Amino acid sequence: MTAAKARKYGAILGVSLRSGLMYRGNVLGGLLFYALFIFVFFSLWGTIYRAGGVPGYSLPQMIWYVCVTELIVFGCRSGVFGQISESIKSGAVAYELNRPYHYVFYRFFSALGGIVFSFLFYAASALALGHLFVGPLPNFRLWMLPFVLVSIGLGAVIQFFSYLCLGLSAFFIEENRAFMFIYSKLVLMLGTFIPVEFFPGWLQTVVRYLPFSYITWAPARMAVDFSWGHVASALPLQLAWAAVMIALSLLLYRKGVRRVNVQGG
Amino acid sequence: MAAIEALYLRKHFRAKVKGEGFSASLRSLVRPEYRETVAVRDISLTVSEGEIVAFIGPNGAGKSTTIKMMTGILHPTAGSIRVLGYDPVSQRQALSYHIGTVFGQKSQLWFHLPPLDSFRLLASIYEVDRLVYRQRLDDLVERFQIGGLLRTPVRKLSLGERVRCEIAASLLHWPRILFLDEPTIGLDVVVKHRIRELIGELSREDGVTVFLTSHDAGDIEQVCRRAIVIDHGRLVLDLPVKKLKYDYLNRKLVSVRFFEPQSLPAFPGVTAIKETGIAARLSVDTRAQPIGAVISALTGGGNVADITVADPPMEDIIADIFASRKEERS
Repeated sequence: MTAAKARKYGAILGVSLRSGLMYRGNVLGGLLFYALFIFVFFSLWGTIYRAGGVPGYSLPQMIWYVCVTELIVFGCRSGVFGQISESIKSGAVAYELNRPYHYVFYRFFSALGGIVFSFLFYAASALALGHLFVGPLPNFRLWMLPFVLVSIGLGAVIQFFSYLCLGLSAFFIEENRAFMFIYSKLVLMLGTFIPVEFFPGWLQTVVRYLPFSYITWAPARMAVDFSWGHVASALPLQLAWAAVMIALSLLLYRKGVRRVNVQGG
Repeated sequence: MAAIEALYLRKHFRAKVKGEGFSASLRSLVRPEYRETVAVRDISLTVSEGEIVAFIGPNGAGKSTTIKMMTGILHPTAGSIRVLGYDPVSQRQALSYHIGTVFGQKSQLWFHLPPLDSFRLLASIYEVDRLVYRQRLDDLVERFQIGGLLRTPVRKLSLGERVRCEIAASLLHWPRILFLDEPTIGLDVVVKHRIRELIGELSREDGVTVFLTSHDAGDIEQVCRRAIVIDHGRLVLDLPVKKLKYDYLNRKLVSVRFFEPQSLPAFPGVTAIKETGIAARLSVDTRAQPIGAVISALTGGGNVADITVADPPMEDIIADIFASRKEERS
């Protein structure tokens, strides 16, 4: 990539950062839901822990776990699925195509600015809510933070490109909301609400090889129960899934753009 | 070299068809049926560099589809097309550096940011050198008189202000062809006039080729030198605007309301479409009767409460064109 090309995507990121700063409309509404989720899980897990412990996680760990997974789901949300599906279905995608950039990376960098701001905002809320409900996270040391942040970043990348792929499916199938529905429920069940360790043995094996748990479970586990073994197994798999999702979105775009069906006029 | 060259350009769309009822839905899931619609049929045309061409036709005639094929967004089903010597399908990116597009219904400016941010972004997307960009921006700001708008978020601009910024944005990278799809849609008369002047200036001073679609007879009359009319995907007419004007844009609609009921003065070339005594709608053939003479005759008695003069809608003009062509043929 030449310097001019790299500068191009830098400029897209710059503008999206500025736009993210100007427009914070739906962040506050999301925060309300975020706090509600944490509260519901605080009550739910509290009841379960009073009835008897859960192997592998203490109650504070469990609540911090949910704080981190929901931070990725809420804080790194981009709306890219809806935007792409909508623009393909309405034909508006036409106007974004005839410019000298790669559409997939244009989408990524123009969403990144908004994600950065909402992540920072939700991260602050996560810290506050976690402390409010169960106090500081036991055994957490500051030097672990870079690893956790890298893992969260990779989780966010997998999440973004998965949604982008789902959005691009509109090129092929008119009604693609069902995919989105199924996908988001899988992410919720496989890692966001329930840590992977709680699944029965065979399912656990399967889930550990699927992308879903590498969005939320891998980083959250790293945050609440840091171990070098987990870092060594989770980060490479996260990297691999991120690469797969990026490659898949490039492929879907290449195949899809030839089928653009823009009626009218 | 021709700016645009299309030969037997054709575009088919495939749309799923589904019968009514649940069983038909199931059937269409298993074995979908498709119906082909032809949006563009064998259009051939050549546009030379520096021309200002109006591309007109009623809704659904295939105007946007053709523009989208010229800009590489849609792939033609058949036929060949060259824009500035590039093949838009296989060389879309290379071509995109040399063309600018403005689509009336879709903004290319970031909604929550001032236009200046979008301008800077577009300049780097098109790899415009920083110094060159600064000069170009100054020039465009002066021409489009948008100096005062540069730092206002786009969402707070009026439509006219936004369109001026949109066109300026599409020119930052010195495009050699400008595609304008309904640029004046929804604008008031004064702004429309200003936009038309600017488009004319662009072509005169920079030699930009302009390819413009519009619904508005005024856009075509005042800006373009050549008109291409299409309907149902077929090229119907390709002629100088002067001739189009003389042959088809020769009617004005006059609506008038009186204080006291009165009868209409009789004029050659003027027909009443509606007449109620207190108000009337007239169709004026401006070849037989200058519009000014009609208005002074009407207003002379001091009995006019309100009067408006308008162009007939594009749909009527196209209908006229068809009617006269049928006469020619028979």
